Amino acid sequence: MLILGIETATERVSVSVGGHEGVIGLFEVTKGRRHAETLVPAIDFVCKRAGIELSEISVVAVDVGPGLFTGMRVGLSAAKAIAQALSVPMIGISSLDLLAFPCRHTDRVVVPVIDARKGEVFYAMYRQVPGGIQQVAEPAVGPVEDLVADLMARSQDVLVVGDGAVRYREEILEGFHCEMGGDAHPSAGQLVQLAHARALREEWVQPREIEPVYLRAPDAKINWATRAART
Amino acid sequence: MSESIAHPEFGESTLVLGIETSCDETAAALVMGGYDVVSSVVSTQVEIHAEFGGVVPEVASRAHLEVLNPVIARSIVEAGVEDSRIDAIACTVGPGLVGALLVGVSAAKSLALVYDVPFIGVNHMEAHLYAASLEDPTLEFPLVVLLVSGGHTMLVEMQDHGRYRLLGQTIDDAAGEAFDKVARFLDLGYPGGPAIDEAALLGDPEAVRFPRALLDGSYNFSFSGLKTSVMNYVRKHPDVSSADVAASFQAAVVDVLVTKARAAAKEVGATSIVLGGGVAANSLLREEILDGCVKDGIQGFLPSRAMCTDNAAMIAAAGWHRLRSDGPTPLDVGATPNLRLPFLNV
Ligand SMILES: [Zn+2]
Repeated sequence: MLILGIETATERVSVSVGGHEGVIGLFEVTKGRRHAETLVPAIDFVCKRAGIELSEISVVAVDVGPGLFTGMRVGLSAAKAIAQALSVPMIGISSLDLLAFPCRHTDRVVVPVIDARKGEVFYAMYRQVPGGIQQVAEPAVGPVEDLVADLMARSQDVLVVGDGAVRYREEILEGFHCEMGGDAHPSAGQLVQLAHARALREEWVQPREIEPVYLRAPDAKINWATRAART
Repeated sequence: MSESIAHPEFGESTLVLGIETSCDETAAALVMGGYDVVSSVVSTQVEIHAEFGGVVPEVASRAHLEVLNPVIARSIVEAGVEDSRIDAIACTVGPGLVGALLVGVSAAKSLALVYDVPFIGVNHMEAHLYAASLEDPTLEFPLVVLLVSGGHTMLVEMQDHGRYRLLGQTIDDAAGEAFDKVARFLDLGYPGGPAIDEAALLGDPEAVRFPRALLDGSYNFSFSGLKTSVMNYVRKHPDVSSADVAASFQAAVVDVLVTKARAAAKEVGATSIVLGGGVAANSLLREEILDGCVKDGIQGFLPSRAMCTDNAAMIAAAGWHRLRSDGPTPLDVGATPNLRLPFLNV
């Protein structure tokens, strides 16, 4: 079983293929936020370098967010189109799960934090369980102060990871003593590994059932200036 | 005149899948050989945006992502072909709302990669120019296209495939934007075009003589002054009938559009005037253009209403012509929200 993993929920564009033998191809760029320009050539590159035809892919895995709306939609739209064209199922995984997963060997509470712009962050909490990690606090979006308040309320040893942790490092450390580290961005490598475990249990869905996780209502302000630029 | 064809390998049997997500319509279509519309599916978001009185970009992008796959699937099923029969994928890359465009572009490029066929990035405006000839391949150049929609109002001389000269455009509001704003002001609902069209049926177009901004000596348009005078008139005459105001406003807009289109056709020696864009569905505009063309002894061509508003058949058609002249678009292309038409230098 070969899985194609697509990850574009943060500033990174990440593509991976893998299966029983683990990750066999991985491409990542974390610069410039050129998701739409980079993604499809990256999929082509990874498959070619790994010596795989797209028709050999049996599951398409994708990061469903939360993250940058436009970026994550680039990945979701590509992933859904590929799965539909190949007639294969999909596995959607949260960006917060992907950030927490590599930290599964710590006994601290793992808190992935993703920059949500506008002074806010997406975050959730996880702890180690045999064979993996388990969510102990639901994903939330809010100002950094809310995150700090949640950390204080829990008052456990905490490991904070993600690009939100990098951006708001001082604000977080000022309010709560914790460890910072791990990856700043989710990776399609982790995505393929996590998806593989689920694919073995056939925990997949059809492309139409993939639901993006926005966690924030759309900004309903109409930008008439932008609108005037269309026909 | 002859079309420059650098890629004759794409011909009459080339089947192009077109995809359109630039604003509030999610559309997919299959067009054979640039003219034969095999299927065309449009899913509109008009009702989703109605409560905001305009297109909300983030709401539009979310809706595109939800419906694009089913819309593409339906266009293939309705065409009754195997997806392996698709020879190329064309998609709008601009102008439009960037987040909305990217949903379509990402899917289209991915499909091109999976099917191993060329991808063609299409200019949405160029596609509107093609909408007419899609329904009547006998149209002869040069022709004058009056492109009127929610975002643009322009007069274009189409000398040949891919050869366009901009004769004039709006210097402030697009015609469709003026319709939206006046409809909102008169409480007629959204979108404004059809709302005014309907209200005007019951009104007197000569009830109020609103100003016509003819901007003498130019093919440019201006609708902002007209919009303001409508608002001033209604404030001064609160008891006036909305139908009369709608009819009089519509008459003023159409008068300006038709006068300029006819003058432009005369100047460039066009054989016909062609309408395009969402506002081209307006009943009065359609009538008046036809009348004018009869008077001037030229052909007036009105695409069907479905072809005037955003659709993917016109994207596939424009894509087919571009594929033959320019070849495929590289897969590292993104979206260009302010993409312009490749006008000839004048
Ligand atoms: Zn349009």
